[in-house]
Amino acid sequence: MADPLLEVRDLKVHFPTEDGVVKAVDGVSFRLEPGETLGVVGESGSGKSVAFLTVMGLIHRKSARVEGEVIFDGRNLLALPEDEMRHVRGNKIGMVFQDPMTSLHPYYRVGSQIAEAIRTHRDVNKDDARKQVIEMLRRVGMPRPEDRAKAYPHEFSGGMRQRAMIAMGLALNPALLIADEPTTALDVTVQAQILELIGRLQQEFNVGVVLITHDLGVVADVSKKVMVMYGGKAVEMGTRDEIFRQPLHPYTWGLLDSIPTVDKRVERLVPIKGAPPSLINRPTGCSFHPRCPHRFEPCDKDIPELKDRGGGHPDACHLSIEDKRRLWSEREQQRARAAS
Amino acid sequence: MSLTSVDSAPSQKHSGEPLLRVENLTKYFPITSGIILQREVARVHAVEDVSFSIHPGETVGLVGESGCGKSTTARLVTRLLDPTSGKITFEGRDITYTSQREMRPVRRDMQIIFQDPYASLNPRQTIGQIVGAPFRIHKTEGDTKKKVQDLMERTGLNPEHYNRYPHEFSGGQRQRIGVARALALRPKLIVCDEPVSALDVSIQAQILNLLEDLQDEFNLTYLFISHDLGVVRHVSDRIAVMYLGRVVEVAGADELYENPKHPYTAALLSAVPKEHTDSGLRERIVLQGDVPSPVDPPSGCSFHPRCPKARAVMGKSVQLTSEQAEGGQVSLEEAVARTAASEGDDTSVDLSQEVPEDCRKEVPPLGQVENEHFAACWYPLEKGEKLQQAAKA
Repeated sequence: MADPLLEVRDLKVHFPTEDGVVKAVDGVSFRLEPGETLGVVGESGSGKSVAFLTVMGLIHRKSARVEGEVIFDGRNLLALPEDEMRHVRGNKIGMVFQDPMTSLHPYYRVGSQIAEAIRTHRDVNKDDARKQVIEMLRRVGMPRPEDRAKAYPHEFSGGMRQRAMIAMGLALNPALLIADEPTTALDVTVQAQILELIGRLQQEFNVGVVLITHDLGVVADVSKKVMVMYGGKAVEMGTRDEIFRQPLHPYTWGLLDSIPTVDKRVERLVPIKGAPPSLINRPTGCSFHPRCPHRFEPCDKDIPELKDRGGGHPDACHLSIEDKRRLWSEREQQRARAAS
Repeated sequence: MSLTSVDSAPSQKHSGEPLLRVENLTKYFPITSGIILQREVARVHAVEDVSFSIHPGETVGLVGESGCGKSTTARLVTRLLDPTSGKITFEGRDITYTSQREMRPVRRDMQIIFQDPYASLNPRQTIGQIVGAPFRIHKTEGDTKKKVQDLMERTGLNPEHYNRYPHEFSGGQRQRIGVARALALRPKLIVCDEPVSALDVSIQAQILNLLEDLQDEFNLTYLFISHDLGVVRHVSDRIAVMYLGRVVEVAGADELYENPKHPYTAALLSAVPKEHTDSGLRERIVLQGDVPSPVDPPSGCSFHPRCPKARAVMGKSVQLTSEQAEGGQVSLEEAVARTAASEGDDTSVDLSQEVPEDCRKEVPPLGQVENEHFAACWYPLEKGEKLQQAAKA
């Protein structure tokens, strides 16, 4: 097998605070092949953003204790000195954040902000940089890119700002694009435009994409591979079909059952009981056990590892594979009954 | 105009006198210029000629994208904003121009739940004070504390937390506090303005179930505003879709989702990201461009500059000027994209070539297309008509 584009091994990010250690990310491992899309889903506080901020080297090393390895391009990014990391970030790894208004500087023209990113990493003169900017803006579907490059962020709509951010993220032809909730602040019709754009550019540039979101629909729409996070850990990982058709973890079941969809109407939603765990006083054993309707004897003692437990893809739940299959098919039948 | 028709056909489940009736409601926000002598230079057409009614026990959903006027509508019907024109009737009484003092007794029957559970609770007040405020304001008799604790229990809060402050609660619990406060005076109508948008998905379902339970228990009527189309389908009996300040379609929830008549509704529904298998083809209508500015909305049907159906009606692909397309002939989607993108600028695409005249010139009324299904469109979609195919025809 070829080398993966990105391999994260047992990543831990702990923030010591006055109240105790916040274990934002607590042992996450995964790999991403070149050109692949990984969807990362989880609720607020699941550690999904912190994990990838760490990958990008944007977690302040003095305020956090970071363990594990982030192998990108054959090098461990966590061991790189800051000035070398600066060469990787923006150059080899592009980034798109949730709120395009706060990610763009309001005082500078959009074009010069993108040009700045290009000129930081490449030895090009202003004129060539400007041409590249216009070409990038054209590729992300910006109408009249020559004029738009001269505009200020406030003259753009939310969707256009996000297009500009994507243009900036891809301007240097990175191998990996990390998009943290790129469409959360946008309306659905604009979201559809942006998701389509990301999908198209991914093929065009053959870039690996990590799409972080709380919206299962977005993940289902664009990612072939999905990682579900809960309480700082990955609890299930698989292909889109595996996660949506044969999910193995009770938390994934809960997510799928609690979201109303546009396709069908169920009589009653089945919410997940309780609230997400505190990251300081994490529940013993499996973090999900206090909210899990299927918990049994080992759940509050042993931390379940993420591994293939015979279900075809890795999950972190103590239940036997027979139980998982049975419980999930029962849920499916229940849903079918409720919908009819 | 279409009001009588919309009104005469409430959903079968809820007939009789409507609890709330809104007729031709319009709200403009002036844009002024000058420091001392302020002149009105333009107006934001936030809500324009909106009519609908809500029957007792019914949930009416109001959906649309940001800036379409759904929250302004919520504030108008609760009289938190004064309408520019139109009429609001609550329980048979015209409340369009009643003074704030006269509104007070009406407010008992009409409450609102806001989107942000962090901003809508006073951080310096305890839960007891917050939920008890309606009792004090309306000077009700009896033991306020007991009533508040009873409310807390019903909304799934621990009554022992009576003396706690909002910061001690999670987002979902705070929204429960907001619900308890709205419920305090046993209102008839609750306007829910994006009540679950700020919550995590696993918590969202808890609040939605709570709202449903309370509706059954107290026979509540909801005006439910949300941009989340899945949530709206789940809670609503009937749904109104808004675009640029106008209601463009009204129908029963299932009917609207299965058989949308307005091209905008169809595009909106198809835009929702959802699970699809690798083999399954996605039929998504990606609308191009952005919503036009409500300061200067397009003439005629406000959706016409982006409407794929209007172009399909004309049945031709579009010849663009050489400045716009090097090749001259471009695909229809691209033409629509460029047209929409150049909206408001020196448009070199002549819309008269692409869009039927009535779409450009006349505002389509919200007329009955099918039984209890209303759409404001000159060329509503046929049942099962695929927009994209139509656009390519």
